[in-house]
Amino acid sequence: MSVKRKGPRATATRVATYALLVTVAIIVLFPFVVAVSTSLKRNTDIFTYPPSLVPRTETTVTDPERGLDNATVYVLPDEEGRFALVEADVPIAEFRRLDDPGVIIARPPTDGVETDRTTVVDGDEETVYLLEVDGEEVEVYRARLTVGGRFEPLDGDGASVVTLVNLATPDRVFGPRFENFSEVVTEKNLGRSLTNTMLVTMAVVVGQIVTSILGGYAFARIDFKGRDQLFLMYLGSVMIPFVVLIIPLFQLMLQLGWTDNLVALIVPFMFTAYGTFLMRQFFLGIPKEIEEAALIDGASRATILWKVMVPLARPAIATLATFGFLYAWNSFFWPLVIINSGNPDNGLLTLTLSTLGGRSSTDTNLVFAGAVLAMTPPILVFLFAQRYFVENSASSGLK
Amino acid sequence: MSAVTFSSVTKRYKDGPKAVDSLDLDIADGEFMVFVGPSGCGKSTALRMLAGLEEITDGELRIDDKVVNDLPPGDRDIAMVFQNYALYPHMTVRENIGFALEVAKMPKAEAKKRVDDAAEMLGLTEYLDRLPKALSGGQRQRVAMGRAIVRSPKVFLMDEPLSNLDAKLRVQMRSDIIQLQARLGTTMVYVTHDQVEAMTMGHRVAVLRNGVLQQVAPPQELYLRPANLFVAAFIGSPSMNLMRGRVTVDDGVVGVSFAEHRLVLAPGAVERYPGLLDRSGTEVIVGIRPEHFAMEGDADVGPDSVMEVEVNLAEAMGAEVHIHAELDVPPASIDPSLVDPGVDPEALPVDKTLLIARVDGVHTVAMGQRVRLAVKTHLLHFFDPQTGAPLR
Repeated sequence: MSVKRKGPRATATRVATYALLVTVAIIVLFPFVVAVSTSLKRNTDIFTYPPSLVPRTETTVTDPERGLDNATVYVLPDEEGRFALVEADVPIAEFRRLDDPGVIIARPPTDGVETDRTTVVDGDEETVYLLEVDGEEVEVYRARLTVGGRFEPLDGDGASVVTLVNLATPDRVFGPRFENFSEVVTEKNLGRSLTNTMLVTMAVVVGQIVTSILGGYAFARIDFKGRDQLFLMYLGSVMIPFVVLIIPLFQLMLQLGWTDNLVALIVPFMFTAYGTFLMRQFFLGIPKEIEEAALIDGASRATILWKVMVPLARPAIATLATFGFLYAWNSFFWPLVIINSGNPDNGLLTLTLSTLGGRSSTDTNLVFAGAVLAMTPPILVFLFAQRYFVENSASSGLK
Repeated sequence: MSAVTFSSVTKRYKDGPKAVDSLDLDIADGEFMVFVGPSGCGKSTALRMLAGLEEITDGELRIDDKVVNDLPPGDRDIAMVFQNYALYPHMTVRENIGFALEVAKMPKAEAKKRVDDAAEMLGLTEYLDRLPKALSGGQRQRVAMGRAIVRSPKVFLMDEPLSNLDAKLRVQMRSDIIQLQARLGTTMVYVTHDQVEAMTMGHRVAVLRNGVLQQVAPPQELYLRPANLFVAAFIGSPSMNLMRGRVTVDDGVVGVSFAEHRLVLAPGAVERYPGLLDRSGTEVIVGIRPEHFAMEGDADVGPDSVMEVEVNLAEAMGAEVHIHAELDVPPASIDPSLVDPGVDPEALPVDKTLLIARVDGVHTVAMGQRVRLAVKTHLLHFFDPQTGAPLR
């Protein structure tokens, strides 16, 4: 570590730097936090207002004396303590004060004492009632007759309250719902998709690594006629956008009989010009003398490749594996085209997630559970591979 | 332990000049042979052909009377130490040293014993489990040596193995390698551009220039009887002073004159270079080694073997003083390859010749002073100005 600048200005700079970094980190992390939290919520908990990052569950009460069996516990506005809904469909009148029509007073209709006076609200003539509010008799009119619920207090012997059910909010405490994950895996067929995606991704990554190592080594170290021209052509294929290839590739798969088959997702992607280029450049950077030393030590080309070059190329291989993994794991369009029979056994994570989260989706929590399941492996792979990116490369064995 | 024979071995790169031009050389069993020359002289190419890292264009290369031209490196039973050591960075010292044995599928117990022995010999035992990056330059160098000796090969090949070490370590490793080679008795081919290394280490030294072998001889003979102008200029430090001079033979007395100086040669010089007698009145190249000067009075020479020069620069080295002076004659050669590699030939004067004299350190010499230098004329060298051949 070098000597750091000292003094108040330097401190201020450092504080500002960290503040900025923390802010950016929060901004970047927030969507992940929301996704994880939503994936643990009950569906009813997701759209509550105010929203909460903490997954909550409704508390219930069982009290045979009052005939309560697993009944939801509510809290009511303007009332203290917890309540249970003991009777639904109780007639309720919505009274509004003449002097303050914005306030709704929900009461049994019988509470209002009818007078013979009337008032005009929005051009309609309304009968005026007298209603006792907080021990005071106020003039109200009856805006609406509806049904509500009778809530009995659970703590103490207070009087039961009749009010609109939608004014009562369930009493929620912290309670993640881990079943989201098992449900999405079993009921929404995500398990099969997860297996398929893993299978495809592993095959693609292993295939890419093997072909890139072999190709990259040949292009870097083996002299043959037309090598550099061939390499340029191979590398040039990177410039062809994938959309151009979709139709010819589809026709090829059709002729091979590979449509609607996972093979179509693996074989065309086991070869990568980009990966070959990456490995070639890395192999070129390894001093020739190391290879010559191995030659003199009696090693064959294959031995040199697997025992000397490949261990030295670990950072490049990790990079290649990470990119290959992310590409294969996230690929959507080609699977959508080629896995087209709707057979759920051939589903991929991306496909299943897209149907899960479609327009008619109601199980938001399950969609997020699926999304979290889908994004965890790439994150783990990235964290694992990260240390190889920064690892010092081949030059350390020299002078 | 084996003899190595180069028979007209030639290396020609595609569309290029010959890097090595029909090299003929016999290296005896157990000999320490040094290839020396300026950069680009083909010494490394010759070594790499011997290693099997370069194809041989033409000629025949034998190890132990077996033609190895088309044998891959691994089958030649040789070991090589590279300039940058070329250790396997991902292997520990033990794995590095034992890699060749592992490739050869040697039984584990024997391989381990050999590695331990080699490490012991090189003082690497306590570093066996370290990675190369945790070692100092000298230790890495010894690991590279260990990798070579563990196989007990027929021939050791070393490609400038000391050039990445600092000066002090280099001197120590130099003697270590000499002792190691003497102890093992293995044939060694050692490439260097450093003529001090060549002189101190080799049983014999092969001097190469532009792919052509100039002379192969024991170090002292190279110094005393250089086969041509190039070898004369290359061997010795500071290098030999070369200047154009005119020979006069007058009544059996041979003299040589250049610029305003005239030296009468002692009979020893004529005995060694009898060709001088036929060159009366013609121009030759005179070679005077810096150490063959002395202050007048220090050497027992006559007054007609003394030259007076003005000191341009005096370097006091303690035991000796290097006096730099300039002579008003065109330089004997402006061929860049004859000059020290560090000197830009374009920057050298074309009508003056630099002269360096080593005199005893007891003298105090100041810049600008005129000094009278005695020349041990019986030790001078003479060459043909056109061919560079000695006038023997």
